[in-house]
Amino acid sequence: MLRYILKRLALLPLILLAVSLVVFGILRLGEGDPAMSYLRMSNIPPTDQALAVARAELGLDRPLHVQYLDWLGRAVRGDFGRSYVTKNPVLDEILYYLPNTLILAAASLLLTLVLSVPLGMVAALKKDQLPDHLTRGLSFFGVSMPNFWFGFLLVWLFSIKLGWLPPMGKGGPAYMVMPVLTMSLMSLGINTRLIRANMLDNMHSRYVLYARARGLPESVVVGRHVLVNSLIPVITAVGMHVGELFGGAVIAESIFAWPGVGRYAVSAIYNRDYPIMQCFILIMTTIFVTMNLVVDICYAWLDPRIRYEGGGQ
Amino acid sequence: MKHIRFVILGLVLVFCSVSLSLSNTLAAPPESDQVLVYSWSSNVGPLNPHLYSPSQMFAQALVYEPLVKYQADGSVAPWLAASWTVSEDGREYNFNLRKGVTFSDGTPFNAQAVKLNFDAVLKNHERHHWLELVNQLHAVDAAGGEAVRIIDEYTVKLTLKDAYYPILQELALVRPVRFLAPAAFPDDGDTSKGIKAPIGTGPWKVTEMVKGEYDVFERNDRYWGEKPKMKHLVVKVIPDANARAVAFDTGEIDLIYGSGGHGAGQIGLDTFERYREMKDIVTAVSQPLATRALALNTNRFPTNEIAVRKAILHAVDKKALVDHIFLGVEEKADAIFAPSMPYCNLDLPPFAYDPAGAAGLLDGAGWILSKGSVYRAKDGKELAIDLCFVGNDALQKSVAEVLQGYLKKIGVKANLIGEESDSFYSRQKSGEFGLIFGDTWGTPYDPHSFCSSMRIPSHADYQAQLGLPMKAAIDTEIGKVLVTVNEDERRRLYADILTTLHEQAVYLPLSYMTAIMVHRENLEGTGFGATKHEIPFESMRKQ
Repeated sequence: MLRYILKRLALLPLILLAVSLVVFGILRLGEGDPAMSYLRMSNIPPTDQALAVARAELGLDRPLHVQYLDWLGRAVRGDFGRSYVTKNPVLDEILYYLPNTLILAAASLLLTLVLSVPLGMVAALKKDQLPDHLTRGLSFFGVSMPNFWFGFLLVWLFSIKLGWLPPMGKGGPAYMVMPVLTMSLMSLGINTRLIRANMLDNMHSRYVLYARARGLPESVVVGRHVLVNSLIPVITAVGMHVGELFGGAVIAESIFAWPGVGRYAVSAIYNRDYPIMQCFILIMTTIFVTMNLVVDICYAWLDPRIRYEGGGQ
Repeated sequence: MKHIRFVILGLVLVFCSVSLSLSNTLAAPPESDQVLVYSWSSNVGPLNPHLYSPSQMFAQALVYEPLVKYQADGSVAPWLAASWTVSEDGREYNFNLRKGVTFSDGTPFNAQAVKLNFDAVLKNHERHHWLELVNQLHAVDAAGGEAVRIIDEYTVKLTLKDAYYPILQELALVRPVRFLAPAAFPDDGDTSKGIKAPIGTGPWKVTEMVKGEYDVFERNDRYWGEKPKMKHLVVKVIPDANARAVAFDTGEIDLIYGSGGHGAGQIGLDTFERYREMKDIVTAVSQPLATRALALNTNRFPTNEIAVRKAILHAVDKKALVDHIFLGVEEKADAIFAPSMPYCNLDLPPFAYDPAGAAGLLDGAGWILSKGSVYRAKDGKELAIDLCFVGNDALQKSVAEVLQGYLKKIGVKANLIGEESDSFYSRQKSGEFGLIFGDTWGTPYDPHSFCSSMRIPSHADYQAQLGLPMKAAIDTEIGKVLVTVNEDERRRLYADILTTLHEQAVYLPLSYMTAIMVHRENLEGTGFGATKHEIPFESMRKQ
């Protein structure tokens, strides 16, 4: 097991190296010119001379491979360069905003799990009855509703019409309600359906039949056997939800003026702030790879049937 | 066993989430009836008066002041300079500084402080190359002279290379020539590497900056002029135009002020229209600040023919365009500069909407609409034009589509080329366009800086004018108008330049861009600044 984890972790630097090369290449080979963006933001007419000064200042006047190797050399020591726009160290900027996004993502994940498990259970146990129809309707709504639109509807209802919740900004728990609802809506819809389907699947398994034959009470059959087995695939789904949540955070942070890293990355894209984009993508890659690893480990811990290559139990 | 593990895993997850959520710190800007709340798409930045992005110009203008101030009529008024004299050859300016002015840290504003600031700007002259004022001063220094000289405690003399008349307009700009307190200079005096603190003479001083959330300004009680009515000004960071409208609806912000339209604007024009119809909301539209126009390429087929250019100008119903796309917020434009700009009140005859006349012009030029075809042709070549715009600019896109419709009516095919902004600006520089969007720079740059840039090859205007037989003469006249000391000659030269460009149909002016303002009735003393970067917060008072 430990060997497996170490092996997976050893792959991380290689993945990051490949990602950095691809990201660096794609950004540079694209049409944009950060020097031009920089001048426009500064309200300076982009004369050839002004462009040359800006390029030299941003280090864009050197050959691509020199730029990459220089960047890579400093990145491995934790220096990701300075933002073209704010001139502050990139890592400081991203680490300043990242916790705010993690807060939203964590709360959304929690909400997704806390709501989807009971909803999925009820839907499965009351299959084809009213609770099932309602839950399925909710799932359908969650998956189909564009989250930015849902966010604006929430604002309209809770901030403008009812005046119950603050429409934007960061503050106490009240400020988190709408962003978290917006972000978790889709995962909630998917997860509920997943749990319902798993429960129904498991309920027709032989071990359930045997459990019932042994005379176990229904609550034990469902609670201890069906539910636990139905939750295992949910662990995998959680790994994917983390990705969705970070994607959703970009939207929710813009709507609710939440000072998170998603909104910051979007403005970096607009401003062609390459160092920020590179670092952001690498950090996201790290989070994804680590999350997948954590999910796999949990999976093995929970379900001994799963075997690892070479590891074995 | 398995379910116990599940419980453990669940508890770990809950613990992590809850502890993360609770780490959500509480920071909040001041709140009271003495606080005016505005919003901007980003933080206001480090507010170095001698540098550009990421410092926001409206905020630099709150903290720092110019020697002279630009007025709505295009003239300049005394500001930190109480008066000035100009030598006969128009090359030397003596500025008598206002006495009794202090920086917000209490140090006096005097000739030494002025010299220190000019020196810092000139040391970094390469970055300010776009600004003729800096080039003029630098040229004197480079030739061994002294461009900025202290005469006495309250008198400073500026010496220019040429008699460049718009010097006063350029001294009024928000950057780079405004004044930082000497104590805030870095130890080596080179402000291009950063400053110690944003300390100026202006009506506001910065007290708090919270990244990604808000910036707080406080009234400068040492201010020499009329002090702000409100104690605090809070600028919240709201990048999204719809979110800003919601913030206004819920009372999170007191004021929406700035350019209209999605993207760079404060709110969409449709949202502004909604506020206009609400009874208890006050809305206002400023005087023209710049011109929204398209340049026609005189150096490229088929717009190299003047008949084609004139036909295009006659084919567009600007009134309908302004009413339906700009929702009446912007006024129809008939000339490249609004008549309210200095030297621009020329009574040029507009190219009226006249599709029949436009078709006649094309017929006369040999562009024939043959039976069964939609577009005209001559010598086997179709009458087609590349219309270039920024693809994700909703306003430009809708204007481009409407223009395409108008042009089709007279048998001209418009190929819409919507690209991302950098490619668009590359086209402006290289001249690869038939018709391209290009706004004038607005007050206080119009007309002088904008005309000046027409001589520079990397500008769309230069490229568009390149096919004119009199291009060289126009450039010579522009060169002259900027340095003549004779007011009448200057007036005559501008009239000449602008009339030629108008008659040659180089520009398709659409509308005069304005600023918009939205607030509630309890906010008094609102009004528009003379330029779009100067927001008169100091006169505003919340009841």
